[in-house]
Amino acid sequence: MWFEEIPLGNKITLGSYAFTEENIIAFARKYDPQPFHVDKDAAARSPYGGLIASGWHTSSVWMKLVIAYRHGRIAEGEEATQANFVSPGVREIRWPKPVRPGMIVTYTNEPFAKLDWPSLPQYGLLEGKNEAFDQDGTLVYSFINQVLMARRPATSGRADGNVRP
Amino acid sequence: MTDLLHFEDFRAGQIFALGTHTLTPEEMIDYARDFDPQPQHLDPDAAKDLLGGLAASGWYLCALAMRMMVDGLFNRSTSLGAPGVDEVQWRRPVRAGDKVRLDGEVLDRRDSSRPERGFVRFRFSMWRAKETGEDERVMMFTCSVMFRRRASAGSA
Repeated sequence: MWFEEIPLGNKITLGSYAFTEENIIAFARKYDPQPFHVDKDAAARSPYGGLIASGWHTSSVWMKLVIAYRHGRIAEGEEATQANFVSPGVREIRWPKPVRPGMIVTYTNEPFAKLDWPSLPQYGLLEGKNEAFDQDGTLVYSFINQVLMARRPATSGRADGNVRP
Repeated sequence: MTDLLHFEDFRAGQIFALGTHTLTPEEMIDYARDFDPQPQHLDPDAAKDLLGGLAASGWYLCALAMRMMVDGLFNRSTSLGAPGVDEVQWRRPVRAGDKVRLDGEVLDRRDSSRPERGFVRFRFSMWRAKETGEDERVMMFTCSVMFRRRASAGSA
């Protein structure tokens, strides 16, 4: 969807992901091998009382679901407006409740602001509020994302930035 | 256990050097396949758009930084993880072959509602080594990490 056409204040469900002992440990062994993420016994003795997912695992799954959501929309016939998506950053990442094996976490995104991005005028910066909930509806993750979205070209001939006669 | 870094061992202004790492295409693509399968993170030939070539996923850089933080600091400390990250900035594309280093600067400390713990706020910066001139900061984020305090008579 072109930058101009994205509705603000419209919450979408990106998808769900089942966290398991296996995928929690596999992620953490590679990227976050703290005892409460990789070692069941050590986790049981920790203040968490059991294995919990790395926060970066919860974050990475958001990205995975965003890509799957976009692919799904395009498969349903939505126009593919850009080949790839780039972000200058995110903020206010919160992991208010540990994610544990057996949780099914559902992620949502709600665009709330559009900003100019002067260094790349053919793009606009979209800001969105993101939340994720466990199967009981408890918030386990939230943050604000930013993504550069292509603006609708003035004419179809300018889609790649070049003017052709 | 006495070797572990506790809340009391951190002071504003301390800078922890957390190692260096040279990125390989394999590790970038491995992460991207699992979590960020976009052409600019997967395919050296297809990725000539916004980032100008194959570049690491920003979330991969966070995961890589985390690994360097755990290996370089947290696994020799009483860290209990972090409840969040205030701000992540992805400032420059990072590519295969780039040699990066990570450092963590202590910004400040604060008490926790739990007397046996405290929070230490860090700014973690990932730098790319340049052949000439100053290293270039490619990513940074700030976060407050919980640490246990040293045992005291009053701890409950």
